[in-house]
Amino acid sequence: MKKKPKKKVSEDKQSTLADLLRKHGAQIYDDLDKGNFPKFSIPSRSVSNIVYDKKIRQYILGANTAVRSSRNSSQLRSFTQLMWLAFFANRLTGQKKSSTLRDVYYSSQAFEVDFEDQAESDNIIVDLEAVLASPRESFHVFPEERSSVFGDLTIEYTVPGYQGKKTNLSDHPDGYAIGPSLTTAELIETSAEVVIAVEKGGLFTRFVEEQVDKKFKAIIVDTGGQAPRSTRTLLKRLHDELSLPVVILTDGDVYGEHIAMVIKSGSANAAHLRGLTVPDAKWVGVWATDIEKYKLPTIPMTESDIKRCHDLLKDPRYQEGIWKKELEVFLKIKRKAELEAFSKYGLTNITDKYLPHKLELAKSL
Amino acid sequence: MSSKETFTQISPSEFFYRNRDLAGFSNPTRSLYTAVREFIENSLDACDQKGILPDVHMSIKAVDAEKPDPKQYILSVRDNGPGIESKQVPLAFGTVLYGSKFGLKQARGMFGLGATMAILYGQITTNKPLIVKSSTDGKIQDEYEMLLDIQKNKPVILKHETKEVAKAGLSLSIRLEGDYSKAGSKIRDYVYQTSLITPYATITFDDPKGDRYRYTKVVRTMPPSPTIIRPHPHGIDVETIRRMLLDTHYQIPAVDDNMILKVRKELGLANKNLSYSEIMDKTQKKWKALTRPVRTVMALMSFLKMDFEKLSKTTIEEIDIGNKKLTYWDFGESQSVSVDMDPESFYYKQLASTVQGETLTSFLTKRFQRVGPTTALKFAEFAKFKPEHRIGTMTNQELVKLTDALQSFDDFMAPDPSCLAPLGESPLEKGMERFFEPDFLAVVQRGASAYSGFPFIIEMGIAYGGKISSRGINVYRFANRIPLLYDEGSDVVLKVVNDTDWSRYKVKGEPPLVIVSHICSTRIPYKTVGKENVADRPEIERELKLALLSLSRKLSSFMSKRGQAEAAIKRKNLYSKYIPLIAQFCTELAGKKKEPNYKKMITEEPIVEEKT
Repeated sequence: MKKKPKKKVSEDKQSTLADLLRKHGAQIYDDLDKGNFPKFSIPSRSVSNIVYDKKIRQYILGANTAVRSSRNSSQLRSFTQLMWLAFFANRLTGQKKSSTLRDVYYSSQAFEVDFEDQAESDNIIVDLEAVLASPRESFHVFPEERSSVFGDLTIEYTVPGYQGKKTNLSDHPDGYAIGPSLTTAELIETSAEVVIAVEKGGLFTRFVEEQVDKKFKAIIVDTGGQAPRSTRTLLKRLHDELSLPVVILTDGDVYGEHIAMVIKSGSANAAHLRGLTVPDAKWVGVWATDIEKYKLPTIPMTESDIKRCHDLLKDPRYQEGIWKKELEVFLKIKRKAELEAFSKYGLTNITDKYLPHKLELAKSL
Repeated sequence: MSSKETFTQISPSEFFYRNRDLAGFSNPTRSLYTAVREFIENSLDACDQKGILPDVHMSIKAVDAEKPDPKQYILSVRDNGPGIESKQVPLAFGTVLYGSKFGLKQARGMFGLGATMAILYGQITTNKPLIVKSSTDGKIQDEYEMLLDIQKNKPVILKHETKEVAKAGLSLSIRLEGDYSKAGSKIRDYVYQTSLITPYATITFDDPKGDRYRYTKVVRTMPPSPTIIRPHPHGIDVETIRRMLLDTHYQIPAVDDNMILKVRKELGLANKNLSYSEIMDKTQKKWKALTRPVRTVMALMSFLKMDFEKLSKTTIEEIDIGNKKLTYWDFGESQSVSVDMDPESFYYKQLASTVQGETLTSFLTKRFQRVGPTTALKFAEFAKFKPEHRIGTMTNQELVKLTDALQSFDDFMAPDPSCLAPLGESPLEKGMERFFEPDFLAVVQRGASAYSGFPFIIEMGIAYGGKISSRGINVYRFANRIPLLYDEGSDVVLKVVNDTDWSRYKVKGEPPLVIVSHICSTRIPYKTVGKENVADRPEIERELKLALLSLSRKLSSFMSKRGQAEAAIKRKNLYSKYIPLIAQFCTELAGKKKEPNYKKMITEEPIVEEKT
């Protein structure tokens, strides 16, 4: 049974963020008091400033920054919006309330800070992420989409009303939604030895039914397609705090391969953020080479599948190992296979045969 | 069908009666508008010519207000112009093609034909007479009621009386079929725009509904009146040359009783019967005082060697200068007789000169504007004619060659613009000021230029903002002080305006912008008979572009000053809105109680922007 070190990580993070917000607030307060026009320095998110860092194996922002000044009349409005969002984030974290992107858009209207549309407010949220170098979840703005987790993991809530309350994530067979309360909970203990992330809800349910958690001592995570940030944050914490290896199972196509890659090394869209990646995560299937090996029923790749293959082959992260090799095989066979394809050989074929192979293989990857 | 066709001559009024569509009298709507136009233009032209500040009053009244359109209206136009001599009135308004507007100078219309057409139209549709009241001296007024005999092209006077009045001027009143409900807006536009381009005139219009539109004069100076000038060689065609030749050309005089009377009078021989030699002696002495036709008759007599008695019984058939033969018909003998002419004789030279016409160089210098002897000689060389070539002897082919050369010779001076009557910058500016009360106004008059030998001058004004309520660029087009109201689509002025990239002049969106364009020329190159749009001659287009360019630049600098002022206010509003919000948010964020002291930041001026 793995136990977490005593230090409470999530509370720690919150206090640094609060400090950072206060620091920015104080700076701006002083500027105004002295009659100076305050400004923010925001790391530039333009394409030319996004570079791949081989050391930490993810996209990061380069050294370019843009100054947003309240003296410039064309920036004054967005400066005020950013200022408001910092103020709003401070309230959210201070009062331990959570919010969504859409919520933020409507909340602004109570303060005479008008956003044209949600796209504009979403953009300002990314600005604040860049200024604070923290994902929006850290200041309690969560995405709408939910994914799930199941397995022997005891957590302790930190959200108001549930503080100190503990839950084991194997108590409910449908799994637990990965929402704000779960993401901010303390991870107490687990008997699991591996985290299995699967792309599809259907397979997640199959795994629970077949007791994969017990048979393989695993925590099962449903990413619901491309993994949301909260899910990626949880995966990272499971890996970092509980030292669990993470393996990823996706459909056998180019999109599946990229879902695995984003969990491993993030996306260019989130280049301004660190702490969302699990560089040691392993993609174990379904590979292109598995299609032949396991004689899986296939469907032909579409034009856009093929184009995506060529695009990814130019990405620095796909220049070596299985990442490159599998893309090339996909391009060669021009066919793809879904996780459900294993059902051709019986509903439990995937958990009985394929999964054990792959978990074994993962140790050597 | 009969193989035989008969050709009959028709009178001009008959011709126009049959082709009234051409003159703008195709339907009741259009006819009412055209009649208004013709009458007002006639009045304004009459005043212009005499340097009188025009005061024109027009009224349109329905004969029976209850009836639906189209119906009969009474159109009356009264002016304070010079009036028309009593005895001229029947001819001026009772015949077609009688007018005083011949000659080359700028006038609103040509030939005064349109007004007569309106009268003709009125008579055709209502069979009611025209009423003319005219006073030239401001004391006695002649009042005529008359009809036009279309087939004979002659006036029929129904009533003529005189009475005492206090003011000179002319008043015309006709009854005609019209449609005011359809033509009304067009007529009001016409009156409005005419006032805009004639700021020295007072124009009043009482419409059939009892509404009065009155535009009083805003300037008291009239543009200098144009002078009548000779044509420019570039503007000439073969037909014009032929007419000019006819004008100067010798015609074999008819030696009838009238002519003989004239000759006797000039020689001072009223009733005396002198012999041939006595007559010729007298001729020698009086030669210099004789008129041209008399000189010609005397030269002929010198070869015929006849006295008046005998002369009256002959008719000259041919004067053959080349073969020195003179042929006449003798009524008494009923035969043709030829006599030789002595080339050495004084009279032969006179006759030769008359018959053959002027030399080419003398024709050019005397008959055309701005052609001196040097240019005439250079032209003769260019056209490959001898300078002393007599134009009277030119064949048709040679005339065509001469015309072509006149049009293509580049060394003629530019046409003389003194025949033009532009409005002038100051009156145009005042006119526009009165109508638009704009925030910005600029006008320009370009120098004279020419196309195909016709001089022209462009005047243009541009107005922005103020009381201009229309959105988008509104163009008022004028040609020789006539508003061009319709068919604007293909007009050269519109083309130039639309080709302009207005954003370069800081004019965006749907600006409250008015452009007034006035083209003055002895001949406006209209595209259609309707005379509503001007063709895009490159020379005219170029001048329009230059005029618009100079005005747009002025507008641009106005707009940028205005833009800066507006931006400063806008900026100040922005800071006043957002800085307090920033203060509010950062106070809570910094954990302070009291807001920072930011007030001075939004009250102090100016805020120097920081651009990144």
